[in-house]
This record gives sequence, C-alpha cells and structure tokens, in this order.
Amino acid sequence: MAEDKKYTTVSIPTPLFEKIQQKIKDTGFTSVSDYVTFVLREILAHSSDNEAFSEEDEKKVKERLKSLGYLD
Amino acid sequence: MKVMVVGLDCAAPALMFDKLKDHLPNITRMTENGIYGKLRSTDPPITIPAWMVMATGRSPGELGLYGFRSRVGNSYTQIKIPSSKDIKFDTVWDILGKRNKRSIVVAVPPTYPPKPLPGLMISDFMTPDKDKEFTYPPGLKNEILRDFPDYQFDVKFRKPEKEKIINEIYQMSDTRFKLVEKLLKEKPWDFFFMVEIGIDRLHHAFWRYIDENHHLYEKNDMMRNKFISYFEMVDYHVGKMMEMMDDDTIMMIVSDHGAKGMKGAFAINQWLIKEGYLKLKNEKVAPGASLDEIEVDWSNTKAWAWGGYYARIFLNIKGRENQGLIDPSRVKDEIAVLKEKLKNIRGPNGEEWKTIVFEPEEKYDVVNGDRSDLFVYLDDLNWRAAGTLGYETDYLLENDTGPDDAVHDYDGIYIIYRKNKRIGKKIDSSIYRVAPTILELYNVRKRYGIKGEPMEGIEYVK
Repeated sequence: MAEDKKYTTVSIPTPLFEKIQQKIKDTGFTSVSDYVTFVLREILAHSSDNEAFSEEDEKKVKERLKSLGYLD
Repeated sequence: MKVMVVGLDCAAPALMFDKLKDHLPNITRMTENGIYGKLRSTDPPITIPAWMVMATGRSPGELGLYGFRSRVGNSYTQIKIPSSKDIKFDTVWDILGKRNKRSIVVAVPPTYPPKPLPGLMISDFMTPDKDKEFTYPPGLKNEILRDFPDYQFDVKFRKPEKEKIINEIYQMSDTRFKLVEKLLKEKPWDFFFMVEIGIDRLHHAFWRYIDENHHLYEKNDMMRNKFISYFEMVDYHVGKMMEMMDDDTIMMIVSDHGAKGMKGAFAINQWLIKEGYLKLKNEKVAPGASLDEIEVDWSNTKAWAWGGYYARIFLNIKGRENQGLIDPSRVKDEIAVLKEKLKNIRGPNGEEWKTIVFEPEEKYDVVNGDRSDLFVYLDDLNWRAAGTLGYETDYLLENDTGPDDAVHDYDGIYIIYRKNKRIGKKIDSSIYRVAPTILELYNVRKRYGIKGEPMEGIEYVK
C-alpha cells in the first residue's frame, strides 16, 4: 500500500528518463527520481487546493462583474 | 484530425452573416465553403453557463450553473462566484486528454483557477489578477507576460470615456489573438479552444452606434467605424489561423449567445415591493441601493429578486430560509400567482410585454446547485432586470450599474470549415450539439457516450 511506504514508483517513458539523465549530469541532482520529485513539487506548489478565490480576489471579481452588468 | 474552436462571445448572426459581411472576408469564406447557421444558446443565454454547456454537452441544470453568481446555502445575501472548481463534468479537452490528445485552452469561462491538462491552459476573464496563477503549466505565465506584457483578461467598460474603452477592447483582443497564434505555431497540440470576450464588451458598450432603431441611437461615424474596424481585426486573425490549417484541420467559430438592443432596465425589486412581496424596514432608500446594503424585513417578505440580463426570483419558504414566510404547502399556488403577475407586467407606456417566466424544472431534466425559484426574461430579454432600488420609476432607460446598450439574444452563431471542402450549407443548430460534434470529429463520441447529437451536416466535413 502506497500510504505504508515512504516511496512509491511511477512509470515514465524510457526516452524521457534518458533525456532527464542527460540534463542532470553535473548538476546538484543525484538521480532522475530526485529531479522529477523536485519538478513535480514545484508545479504542485503553484496550484491551490483550497477555495478558488481568496476573499480579496472574490471582492475584486464581484466588483468587475458588477461593472459589467452581470450582477446588480 | 485536429479541431480548432474559436469562440467569439456574443457574436450575433445578423451582424456576422449579414450586416458586417463585406468587412469579414475570411469569415465569409468560411460560411460560403463550410456549414454555418444560428446556434440556439442555453437558458439563460448567458456566458456562464453557456460556454461550459458547449464544452461539456451538459445542461445548466446538470452543471448547477445559472449565471455569474450562486447563492451560498439558503442565505439571503451571501453569494458565490463560479470557478473552474464548480465544473464537475468532463470537458471535451478532459475527454480528449484521456485519449492522449494535447489541448490548448484559452480564456474559456470559467477556467480559473486552471486545472491540469495534457497541454496548455490560460484562464478566463474572471481571473482576479495577473499576479495569480492563471496558466497551466504555471511556467507558461512567465512566457506570456514576457512576450505580451499588455495581456489583459478583460476591460472595464462602464465608464464614460467611450473612445478610450473601444481602443482598450481592440488592444485586448488583438493581443490575445497574437498570443494564441504564437502558441498554435510553437506548441504541440491536437485540440484548440479559445474564447474572445471582446465582442461582448463591444456590443454592450457601443451598440447604439450601429443600431438605428436603438432608443439611444447616436450617429457618430468615428465610433461606428471603430466598431467595424474591431470586427475587421477579428476577421484578420481568423484569416491568420486559417493559414495555419492543413487539410486535416477543422475550424469551428462559435458564439455563446447573440445580442440585441437593450430597451432599458426594470427595477424588479421595486415592483416586488409594490406587489406586496418584498418588505423593507425603512422605506426610504437611496437610489441605486442593493438589497444587501439596506435592511430588509425578511420575516415579512415573500419574495426577492436578483437582477442581470434576466431576473432570478427567490421565495422565502418556511423551513428553507431562516426567516421563511411561505408555508411549503402554499409554494405551488404562490408560484402560480406570481408567474401570472410577472407575465402581465407592462412597459413604460402601457405596452404589452412578452415576458417569459419559468421554474428550472420546466427547462432542465436535472436541477443541481443553487437555483432560484423562478427565472424571468422581461419582455423576451429586451429589458434587463435591475436588482437595485430607490428609483422614482421602475423603468430605467439606462442600466442601473452604468451605461449599457445591448442585452443578450437567444441565437449565437456557428461555422464549421475545412480547408479544400466546398459545402456551403446553412443549417441552424443548438449549443448542446457542440461538444458531441467535437467528439464526433475525433471519433470518440460513441465510445465516451456523451449525451446529444452532433450537428446536422457534420458528415460533409468529416
């Protein structure tokens, strides 16, 4: 079970694996897994899991929609 | 096979196929050689939910989306703005993605915050700001802001500096088209779906310059010419995209609804007060106040309304709203009476109106989400509804939230064009057929089992 283990496996195409291997040669990444984990974390950090709009964002959008005539 | 969907929000058949035809050589070439016609929009015929109906093939009732706001629970005043997270059904790009097709999706409402997909996504005009994550993958944002620092999600058009606004709309759309042309050229894709919101903004702010029958008609050659040159710019970019097509690419131009001149705004909550449905604690109200800014006597209120291009009316029902007044056993009768009263509203000079009133269950097989008890199209949508109150009259010749010239009409447009095919057929269709048509073109419609049929005549382009 994935939740019992600290690590699990995902499959990527071999040519992509090799491309990454080339790319991280002589860099601070010690393995393809390290690199892939780093990149995926970076991407996930950008997407929010919570509400779509913060309170301030929602206020901004509401105001705009009001000025466009959608809300009144 | 590749499909490019170019969405032109609010593009109206009378303008695109007739009045502006001579200014639109590329689009006219598409109609002459493709299939085209009117595209009946959703009920209500509004940007939200219409684009998502197009992208999913699901009705507003299934999507649980009836406009630009939903009620939070059964609250009197709390509202929620729809976002991508409210879309619980697969879009065509989700379905194609699962079949290894890469999509480029640009500005389809509502796609903020952008959800992951195999491909690229830029979120729509409801994106709060450029400092937000408005692309998938996130890195695309930097590329866009580097190459197109003036990229805009939308314009603010209800302000008096008309000339400035029309230039801003032009700039916004021109930039978005340039951006998508760059993406189409440089990025790998199998499916493309964009929405340009500029035509909608142009119609609302400048309809009076092209419609001689509009009550605010203004003869102004400069504004009229600017209006037309906006469309020439759109046509130019359609031509640019046509140049990128090979024989196996199909282009669809679609709009989510049409447009017609606005006759005015009707202060629906004032009318509800006069009819005894809505009670305020203090009858003196500043002009333009909205219900959430004043004290409503909720425990003595039977119904209240939201304005917009159509009106939504909520009943105050015991056991549902926390100060409910109407006994649940009386709801049916109350609705029947209120419907009749609404249908009998007359215009400012006593003229008859063709007002359409319905309960959501009458239009949709499934009714999800926070729906109002009644949907009201005042005078067949010719009058918009003002939810604000405090006016001397119920009939406002301008919109309550600033100048506005146009309302929505039921029929948008569609054109399907494939290079080197000579078809030239006019067949009117429905917005519900767009998603099945796209899936049919990729030969995955039957396997996916989407509801609805593809457009008639699709065999000619296949």
